[in-house]
Amino acid sequence: MTDTTTANTTPPLKRALIFLLSHRAAGLFLFILLLLGIVSVVNPAFLEVQNLKDIAVQAAPVCIISCGLMLVLVSGEIDISVGSMMGLLAACMGAMVSESRGHLPPGTAIVLTLGIGVVIGLLNGWLVAYAGVPSIIVTLGMLTALRGVTEIVMGGSWITDLPDGIRFLGTGAFMGVPISLWTALGVILISLWLIHRTAIGRRIYAIGSNPHAAYLAGLPIRPLKLFVFAWTGLLTGVATLVSVPQLSVVDSGIGVGLELLVVTCVVVGGTAVSGGLGNLSGVLCGVILMTMISTVLIFMKLGENATYWSRAIQGLFILGAIIADHWISRQRKS
Amino acid sequence: MKQRILNMIWQPETFLIVLLGILFAAMGRLDASFLQWEVQRALSSHVWELAIIAIPMTLIILTAGIDLSVGSVMGLSAITTGMLFQKGLPLPLACSASLLVGIFCGFLNGWFITRMKVHPLIITLATMAAYRGMAEGISHAKPVSGFPDSFTWLGQGDWFGLPVAAWVFAVMVGLVLWMMHGRAFGVGIYAIGHNETATRFSGLRVDRYLVALYTFSGFASALAAVLFVARRNTAKADAGMGMELGVITAVVIGGVSIFGGRGTLIGACLGVLLIHETREFVSWHWNRDELNLLALGILLILSVVFQKLLRHKQGSAL
Amino acid sequence: MKLSRQNISKGWITTAFTAVLALLFTACGPGASNNESSEASASSGDNGSKKITICLIPKKKGLPYFTSCAAGAELAAADLGNVELIYDGPTDGSPEKQASMIEQYTLKGVDVIAVSPNDPDVVAPAMRKAREKGIKVLSWDADAVQDARDYFVNQATAQAIAHGMVDTMVSDIGGPEVKAEVAIVTAYLTAANQNVWIDHMKTHIADTYPNLNLVAIKPSDEDQKLAFKVTQDLMKAYPDIKGFFGISSVSFPGAAEAVKQSGKSGEVMVTGLATPNSMKSYVKDGTVKSVVLWNTSELGYLTVMVGEALATGKLSSGDTTFDAGKLGEKKIAGDHVLLGDILVFNQGNIDQYDF
Repeated sequence: MTDTTTANTTPPLKRALIFLLSHRAAGLFLFILLLLGIVSVVNPAFLEVQNLKDIAVQAAPVCIISCGLMLVLVSGEIDISVGSMMGLLAACMGAMVSESRGHLPPGTAIVLTLGIGVVIGLLNGWLVAYAGVPSIIVTLGMLTALRGVTEIVMGGSWITDLPDGIRFLGTGAFMGVPISLWTALGVILISLWLIHRTAIGRRIYAIGSNPHAAYLAGLPIRPLKLFVFAWTGLLTGVATLVSVPQLSVVDSGIGVGLELLVVTCVVVGGTAVSGGLGNLSGVLCGVILMTMISTVLIFMKLGENATYWSRAIQGLFILGAIIADHWISRQRKS
Repeated sequence: MKQRILNMIWQPETFLIVLLGILFAAMGRLDASFLQWEVQRALSSHVWELAIIAIPMTLIILTAGIDLSVGSVMGLSAITTGMLFQKGLPLPLACSASLLVGIFCGFLNGWFITRMKVHPLIITLATMAAYRGMAEGISHAKPVSGFPDSFTWLGQGDWFGLPVAAWVFAVMVGLVLWMMHGRAFGVGIYAIGHNETATRFSGLRVDRYLVALYTFSGFASALAAVLFVARRNTAKADAGMGMELGVITAVVIGGVSIFGGRGTLIGACLGVLLIHETREFVSWHWNRDELNLLALGILLILSVVFQKLLRHKQGSAL
Repeated sequence: MKLSRQNISKGWITTAFTAVLALLFTACGPGASNNESSEASASSGDNGSKKITICLIPKKKGLPYFTSCAAGAELAAADLGNVELIYDGPTDGSPEKQASMIEQYTLKGVDVIAVSPNDPDVVAPAMRKAREKGIKVLSWDADAVQDARDYFVNQATAQAIAHGMVDTMVSDIGGPEVKAEVAIVTAYLTAANQNVWIDHMKTHIADTYPNLNLVAIKPSDEDQKLAFKVTQDLMKAYPDIKGFFGISSVSFPGAAEAVKQSGKSGEVMVTGLATPNSMKSYVKDGTVKSVVLWNTSELGYLTVMVGEALATGKLSSGDTTFDAGKLGEKKIAGDHVLLGDILVFNQGNIDQYDF
């Protein structure tokens, strides 16, 4: 009774806003367009193909890891070790292929790097699902420990002699499109298939939205949680392989702060931290938006001090997303 | 009676003490000079800020919450002190202003958490970025130094043989223990941690408790910031970077369950001691900074696993 | 459900327990063991036949630049024979960690502490305390507050470094008559070393090369990816730009890579400061014509030599020259010990160096 009355009396503008915010991808997409509009007025060079391609290449690794992290959040857990994981995987990859160290063929190094990523992910997952350690603790510990291991692996010198086979992953292109973009596309498609077409995907959502019901329904909660962490580890490895070889030097500070960026993208993209909610299109828009911001700041020529506000902007975006979610649910209730 | 004694022994704190004992013995064997009182006293200056922030963090984690923004509040408070001092404001005023900033930041955290019904993890993750970002943006990452000796004494000087910060910490611990012991405040915090919904229905003003705790956390972070600026004679936006990890590690290692409802402040203090001694000793003996990161991460995970095993031993009866 | 009362009374028991245990072990500890590690020497000053402990603290442990300095320092320790070298530093480059380390070394009672400070003001109190205890304190690679250290071992004057980079860039572009826009990609905007160099560069450009126009100074925060991106963005924002200065060992390769990937190698010149290994591929393929640095190994070597001389009294204030063994004689200007001149790596000589 009350519903229909309110539905008729809510002003259309407000209804549109509610729609946009709850269908996060739509809302974000419009916001991105708005931002593009503003920047291109100030500095039309932003819209050049090369610039957009550069932004996309930068967004690719974040996108890849976000696909994994989204599922982790949907299942009701969190993973803040991805940045340190990337640092370690980069160091391992570099040490393996470097002519002065491991001198392994690129193919072997690729497989091994992905393998190490999966192993670390499995370790995370096992500690969370089977040893019952809260995921915030596990990944917090990993974040610290892996950074230390990275320093030990690097041993005080950077890797400066990456062979062309590996460099190609970062700098090469296929039909004019960089490899990292193809890989990101592939990961997105696989993730879509995983979420919408497989039982695994549905079950992950089930675990997140109502753990107790899932337990009573007999769902294999532990193996599924193990899976999402291992999957994220694998994707981190993939992201490392396509982004680190863009540069010729592998240093020990790669990936620092990455976890905050990825979590921001995923949360801004509409994924609930409590689990059970989240869609890929929203996450994609979140990734594009967050990657765009720093370049937008430069093109708006706001001066070099503007770079110092980028972290504040990240935080404000998450807060904005949270407030928006809260506002919507209140609207729904009334 | 026997059961009560057994219950008392199989507590995380007991094992913490045993672990500390073993650690000290091992350290004594490896490098005895580390254990001298002079050395310990001087090295302790590194940990008081963390210890002070650990006090409200313990209470927050007891309520099944978390506060990831403590390091960022520290940074924001630090530059408040620095920039106001640079503008010519007398230091007592500048410090009071930064304490107010900390209180406000903490209050904002608490307000968001209780109003938005979002998990504190994500709120404080956002404010962690926002507060740090504001600190960086306002100060343009430029440090302020040149504080007068009367001020730096707060961080570098001693009072009756112990660093000033140690006394501040002792007073805070004493106050909080007094507030918790057998009083509604203490019982309430544990109740919220055990079952927030039931506690709400029992009539307790849960929201007020939570806002108070997060405000306290902001205050403690600001206090730590002032002491830090005095100790290192520099006010920078990156003050306290990484502090939240250290504090949470210490508190969790101290036996406080991240799910809430279990643990003691004393345990948290032991956790701080353990973290501090481990960090300092790894530095002291092996001179390899990278080992420290590794050790800390492993210590965190292992201690939680260990606590879980302990709980199984205790049985499911709470 | 455990009531708080039980928890608290447990707490008092555990505190008493801890206190007793701690006292026990502290009492037993120092007396019980005699195998003190070699680093923990009891006092400083008296050196007779005992080894002199020198602690070399870099800005950031793990940076190849500092690792190569450490290699030189090890050589000196070996050549001298009476030196025990400790090389450790913060892996995250945090000045607070540096100060904590200095405090630890002071407590251990080492003989010499040589630090390259990230933030001179933060480490000054710890350095002063060390000097009060009789420990010789040096700064190397980057200077500290003057009254906090005995000497500063400088690789080359900031002026020489700045002039070297600007002169190299001008010759790379094609000479002082060419009108050109250039930009600097630095480390953090607050990095002391870099800022001093930038000031000298600006003066040199204003004085000697009026045709050079410095359009931007952007930070890269020790993040190679950021240096890459910043250079990319600058090339788009200033399409006519002719040269980039990458004045940190992280920003230089990042900037070079950006220029290379944009296809403008040879049109847009890149120079700066970095280790030869990290720039070898760029020098070989022509993206970078010259790399400016100095002999880092000799810097480390000299630092240890000076440290040992200070500790044994061979060097005292007022000396104007210093005999640095196989490095020859080095000039002392006041309290600065000068290593010498900058080193320029190019296609001709870069293969001779491996660091």
